This record gives sequence, C-alpha cells and structure tokens, in this order.
Amino acid sequence: MSSTLTRRSFLQSAAVTGGALLLGFRLSAAGAPARHSVAPPESFAPNAWLEISPDGAVKIWCSHSEMGQGVQTSLPMLLAEELCCDWRRVQVIQADYDPKYGIQITGGSGSVRTSYDNLRKAGAAAREVLLSAAAAQWNVPRSECRAENSSVFHDASNRKAPFEQFLNAASALTPPADPPLKNPQDYTLLGRPMRRTDARKKITGTATFGIDTHLPGMLIASMERCPAYGGTPRTFNSDELKTLPGVRGVYEIPAVHLTHQFGETSGPGSRNYSCSGVAVVADSTWAALQARKQLKVQWNEPQVVRESSEELRRRMIALVAQPAALIRNDGDFQQAHAGAAKTIEAAYEVPFLAHATMEPANCTAHFRNGECEVWAPTQIPEAAAASVAQALSIPITRVKVHVTYIGGGFGRRLIQDYAVEAALISRAANAPVKVIWTREDDIRHDFYRPAAYHSLKAGLDSRGQLISWMHRASSPSIENFYTGTNISPGAAAAVDSQDFPAFAVPNLRLEFAVAETGLPLGYWRSVDDSGNQFVRCSFFDEAAHAAGRDPVEFLLAALGPARQIDLGGNNGVIDVGRRRAVVELAAEKSNWKSPLPPGRGRGLGFMFGWGSYVAQIAEVTCDAQRDTPRVDRVVCAIDCGSCVNPLGVAAQMESAINFGLAQTLKSEITIANGRVNQSNFHDYEVLRMNEAPPVIAVHIVRNTGRPGGVGEPGVPPIAPAVANAIFAATGKRFRRLPIRQLCLVSPHSSVAAVQSSASANRRADLLAFPHISMYQTLLYNTPRLKAP
Amino acid sequence: MAIAFTLNGKSQTLNDVSPDMPLLWVLRDVLNMTGTKFGCGMALCGACTVHINGVATRSCVTPISSVGGKTVMTIEGLSDDGSHPVQKAWIAEDVPQCGYCQSGQIMSAVALLTKKPHPTDTDIDEAMSGNICRCGTYQRIRKAIHRAAGDIKA
Repeated sequence: MSSTLTRRSFLQSAAVTGGALLLGFRLSAAGAPARHSVAPPESFAPNAWLEISPDGAVKIWCSHSEMGQGVQTSLPMLLAEELCCDWRRVQVIQADYDPKYGIQITGGSGSVRTSYDNLRKAGAAAREVLLSAAAAQWNVPRSECRAENSSVFHDASNRKAPFEQFLNAASALTPPADPPLKNPQDYTLLGRPMRRTDARKKITGTATFGIDTHLPGMLIASMERCPAYGGTPRTFNSDELKTLPGVRGVYEIPAVHLTHQFGETSGPGSRNYSCSGVAVVADSTWAALQARKQLKVQWNEPQVVRESSEELRRRMIALVAQPAALIRNDGDFQQAHAGAAKTIEAAYEVPFLAHATMEPANCTAHFRNGECEVWAPTQIPEAAAASVAQALSIPITRVKVHVTYIGGGFGRRLIQDYAVEAALISRAANAPVKVIWTREDDIRHDFYRPAAYHSLKAGLDSRGQLISWMHRASSPSIENFYTGTNISPGAAAAVDSQDFPAFAVPNLRLEFAVAETGLPLGYWRSVDDSGNQFVRCSFFDEAAHAAGRDPVEFLLAALGPARQIDLGGNNGVIDVGRRRAVVELAAEKSNWKSPLPPGRGRGLGFMFGWGSYVAQIAEVTCDAQRDTPRVDRVVCAIDCGSCVNPLGVAAQMESAINFGLAQTLKSEITIANGRVNQSNFHDYEVLRMNEAPPVIAVHIVRNTGRPGGVGEPGVPPIAPAVANAIFAATGKRFRRLPIRQLCLVSPHSSVAAVQSSASANRRADLLAFPHISMYQTLLYNTPRLKAP
Repeated sequence: MAIAFTLNGKSQTLNDVSPDMPLLWVLRDVLNMTGTKFGCGMALCGACTVHINGVATRSCVTPISSVGGKTVMTIEGLSDDGSHPVQKAWIAEDVPQCGYCQSGQIMSAVALLTKKPHPTDTDIDEAMSGNICRCGTYQRIRKAIHRAAGDIKA
C-alpha cells in the first residue's frame, strides 16, 4: 500500500476493487475452522460471521465497530437478506479483533461499502448449503427448493421445514465461494426501514461501552499529560501522592509511537505519538481523580509551547498571499480571469475542532505473562492491537482486543493513544487497569481538525457564466502528521483534486501550502471536506449572486447536462446526473422558489463524495435582537446508491446535520502557548436541543448499484447552507466559522428566491416514518464507481 | 461514614464511602450500576442524570453525603425490560445512535413528563437543553417525548 494513500483514495480503491482487498473473505477456508472451534458441534457455522443454533437462533457477528452509525443493524441485514432467515431470530454480536474478519476499520464511511459483497455472499453461501442439505434429505431436485424466513420450502410436494433440521447435513457440505445473489426486487430486508438492533440495550442502560468494562481486581487510572503536545515529565511528587486514600501507585508513562490506521506508514517527520505523563492509579475513579488534583508535575516542554492559533493564522495568511504548491490546473486561470467581465475574491477560514465524543476516551487493559488483553472502544481494533504490541514490545499475536460499544467516534477513535496508555499503566501497576479520561483531558488532548485559511478568486463572463476559479489554501497537514513530511503537496493537502468545482469551471487552479504546527492533528467526521466544502459552496454562492443568478440554477448550469465523466484508471466516474438530481430534489422539497418573509432566507449546500451525493437546503431566521441565527428547517436529499436501511440513512443525515451545525454555530478550539484554551462543554460548545432545527426532512433517492457511504457526506453541506441562507436573509456574508453572532444593525429584507428547478416526476414511497421519503430516479441509476 | 438511601425502590446502605464521592461514581464504581454515564463532571452535559426525590439531578456533582434519606432512581429503576412508556417511545422513534447520552436523556424526559404531561416544543427545549447528544438525535427525542405524552399516535 502506498505511503501516500489517503483515506478517501483507500476507500475508493476498496470500493472499486470490491471484495479483493478484504482478506477475510475465505468462506470455505479460514473462516470455517475458526468458528467451528468455538461453536457447539450441533450448530451450523459456515463462516466467520454466522452461526445457526439448533434452536434456530441466528447469531451474526458484526466485524465493524458500532459507534452510533448503525452497523449492528445494517451489516447483519446484508447477511440475513441472502440467508433468508427470520430477522426476529437474529442476535447481533460485536466481533473482537480477529484477522479472520479481514479489515475491521470503521471509518471513511466505509463499513457498508466494504462489507456489501462479503456479507451478502456469506449469507448466500450458507443458504445454498442449507438448500442442498434439504434437497438431499427430501430427495428432490435442488433447483426446486427455496429458502424464506428461516425455512426451506419445496412447493411441488408442499413441504416446509425450518433451517434447524438441516444444520448437521449443511455443516458437512462446503459452502460455495461464489454463490448466486438475490435479485434486488426480491429483497425482504434491504431497502426497508429497519429499527436498530441495539436500541433496547441503549434505552435500558445495559449496553456495555468501553467505560463500563469491569474486571475482578481492576484498578482505575487517571493520567496527567503535558499541556503542550510532546512534553515529558521532569519531576513529580510521587511519594506524596502514594499516601493519599485509595491510591495504589503513581507511574511515569512514556510517549509511544501509534500505528496508523493504514498500518505502518510513518516516514521522516511523522509525529503520531501518545502523550507521556503521570498516571495515578487508585481503587476507584473518584480516588484517582482526587489524588490527581494533588499532583504537581514539572514538564520538559517542547517547541510547541510557542504556538498560538493567532500566530498560526498570521502565517497561513502570509502563505496564501504567495504562490503555493499546485494541486490541480485546468485551462488557464490567469488568462481567463484577466478577461472576465466580472471578478470576485474572498478569504475564508475555519478553526481547530475537537471531536468531543460523549463517552470520553477510556480503555481497559490487563498485561500479564507477556500477553495483553484489551477492552477498547476503538474504530480500528487492528491498530489498537498493533500499537499496544509495539508499546509493550510483544508480538501482535500476544494482544487480544475486545471491541466494546463506542459512545461516539467521529474519527477520534481511529487513534489508539488511550489503548497504549491502558496497556502501559497495566504493566506498570501489575494489575488490570481502566484508564478514564476526564472531559478536560478529552478537549485538551485530542487530535484536532486543523484550522485553515483560504483565498479564492472567481471570474464571470458577460453572460454570467463562471469561467475562472482559483482556490489557494493553507492549513496544517494531517497527512504530514501521520505519514511524514516527504510526501507530495497533493498528498499533504489530502484533498481530492477531482472534487467539485473541478469539471464545473473550465479554468481552475488549486494550490495548497502546508502550515507547520506542533499540534496533534486528526480525522474529524468528513475530514478536510468539513471545512473545505464550507469554503467551496459559500464562494460558489457568492459567484451566483455576483452573476445575479439564483444559486440553484447557477449550480445546475455549472454542472452541465447529465453525463458520465470518466476519470480514467481506478479513479471512477463522475456522474453529473446524480449530482443534479439531489440538488433538484432538495430544491423541490424545500419549495426553493417560494418567497420568505423578511429576516428569513434559504441557502444551499452540497457534497459529492464517499460514493454518495447530498444536497441540503437550510431555512434560517435572522433576528437582529436575538443576534444568533436560528435554523428553522433543513431539507436534505441523498443518493447513496442502493440504500441498505432507509431509517439508518435518515438517522445519519439528521446526525450529520446536527453535528455540522455545532461547527457552523458554536465550536472552536484556540491555542495559546501551545496549550488548548478550552476544557469542557462550557467553553467548547456543541449543539443543544434548543438550537436543533425543529424540522429535518430527509429525502432518499431510490437507486441501484453499489451503496455509497452515509456517515460523513451529510456533514459538509450544512455549514455553507446556513451561511448562504444568512446571506439570503440579511445580505451579510459570513466567511469564518463558527457564526456565533450576526451583529446586524437591522434585519435586511429577504432576497426573494426566484428560480425554477426542473424536477423529474418521482413516486413517493410513504414509509412508516413520514419525514423520510424515497424517490425513484431510474434516470440516474448508474453508480459513480466502476464495477470491479 | 454510613449513608442510607432508597435506590430504585430498595433500601441501600453504604459503609466506608468517601462522603464527597459523587453519586455518579458511587453508582458506577461502588454499586457497579453502569447505566448512568460520565460525560463532563461539571453538570454541563446531562449524561449522568438521575432522579433524586423525583427531580432530574446531575449525579456527577451530587456528593453522596447529600443523598442520605432520599429516594434515587436511575435508568435501571425505570423498568426491568424497557417497558416504561418513555422507553417504548424511544424504541418507536428509533432514537438512540451511539446511545451514550440516552440514559440521561430518558431520565430528563421522564422528569419533564411527570411535571408536564403534555409538553410543548418550548417546554422540551427548556427541560432537555442540558442534555447533550453529539450524535444529534434531538429531533427524534422531541418526537419520542410527544409520543410518550400521547400527543402523537403510537
């Protein structure tokens, strides 16, 4: 795997190559013996994910991590659909780390995409041998048997028997490697709104998150880390602390290298380390926290102590004032821009952000006899195992990782610092140890979404067509942080240069300058697009207004007619029709053309990525006295190809919109003296109930083809949708997030929305959840990514 | 010191517990009842919400010494099987995502509905804005509260 592979290119290539990357799909080989070794002999366990018990219970192991996005529902649906089992008898079990499952990364909106073939084939292969076993037992032709609802039917002889009757016979057969898959029109589960399988545990307090792990003899650790990233303890009052009630030990914990999500990709200059610090180990969490308050540490502080976010901002402003590394160059920007009838320019910026998962980082580890057992709320169990193995200098085969429920991931738990802390403290304390981070630890020792500064120029011709676009950005580089500094500018920028507005503007220039920083950086739900798309969509809206055109109509004109743009190689295809369709659907469902009263406005945001297409239209009220924008309604259209679970997709869109609204309106991390200024929810603010839009209406385009991702693509559009709506309501343009105050002297009258949107005839499927609807757009049913 | 209180309908006596230990850590570490969650330690997020004498209270800032003689109810006490009307409404609206905040959300919602059986959206905003959900299930929580109130059809 190339060291410069970005997460998105990884997942695109994974999707392009289908199951080939998924090392774990060996139905009749590695998977079977492993499961047989633990399954009761009378059970049927044809592969790593499935076991049918003699009582008919269907156990399905979920080999990606459940962090709220619904994989414990969507992934078992894939297998159960092809198995033709009774969904009510399915029991979902979280899989531990085990190479037999193949890649277990939960990130990049990729769990369904990378499991789509494997799990359907796993279910289908099991169904096939059950059918064969039944046909042999009944002495009827195999082709006349069918499976439905956990039973085998032979209609000609009116015979029916439950799967349980054929388990032993089926176990003796070899499941086919390439079983036939159902025709989607025969689906009974996929595409239907299915409620979550984990909901009951989560409403009764019985779901076991990482922080709920309890082991006999377990101690609790709370750790003080250097307030500036990379610092180490020089001295601390260990003897004094050891006398405090409940304290069992005080240990210096070294910083250790962390294994990256793609394996060992680090080169010169990479800085992905856990924090060193002082761990206070005690009988209870409270004893550990109280003792830690008495801890006095003198630190060896690193260079980063000189940093501040203001100083970084000044450097980024200087960097975008001069030419930067070229990322993409279409046509001739300089010449086109010089000849433009009208030009605009603007600067945009976004701050550092923390993930602030509701469950603070924590991990439980037990190191003994040269082995380490770990209970981790992790998005990458294989990286947890590899990082712990490296930290303890033991082989990875001596590390066992149990995956717990995760109280919010958003990319924070792609990084395994908390797991190596637990392992190192367990070794030091010679006991099972749970390390619990406080909220202050969480906010101050995150791997942050980088701040960025953007400079943009655009030109319009005399007919108001967009002819030139220049986007020069500067930001600390996540890829440099993990991979090192000897990577290309494009890799350092980590943007997909084929993203919008490429192919929508003939003369386009993208440049990027790395702004060096000592701060730790990480992947935040939707990564670079979380900020970049705010910039692109907002400036595009500025261009529309400069042209005197309606933003929806202006975008559709720039996208051009529905067509396929083949990017060549393994880069897939841009499907302009699907891009247009979600924009048109959102416009139609939001009544984009209808006028609004003064002080209210609508704005458009969109995102095409992770194999999905999303458009969102926000309706806001801007009241000069209230001074903060109120988001009244968000209409969201998504085309994610084959939609596995519409209820889950709608939930992810609602989640992404609320998550994105937090960064739009409230959240910001600032730095002074290399230290994070914020510490808890009073100063790192996130969205609350009273700020959540009263209405989020999700419209899902019913489509075929490979599923796209849904965890992330709903995040980027909402910030520009709100900023553009504020402009429509007030005439005031906000180019810096978060938008906390409107600072309006008097509310401006609403810009009347005037444009029409051509909407295709679509058929509404009214579901049990009336705020979600599905639309048939067979016109646009070609998947963006090529088939394997 | 010994502290006696009623927990989920049963009398509970604690010996040798630090009087300043918050109820949250007594529940989680001493009694091994982990349904009540730690989120911020400063009464800012509501993940630790329990009822004390029927009032929604942040257990992370409630010293156990202040609980003596009182009645405490946690998510574990709401029902044995998720059959409380608010829990059923949460299932019907498919509310939870990561689920970490939901014990606290449900306890706040039950307290609201006890006080106001038919809350308006404004009532819900006022009662629930102390409970953060990073997954953004707010719209479904609103609907579930209205459903539990019988204000929308089940």
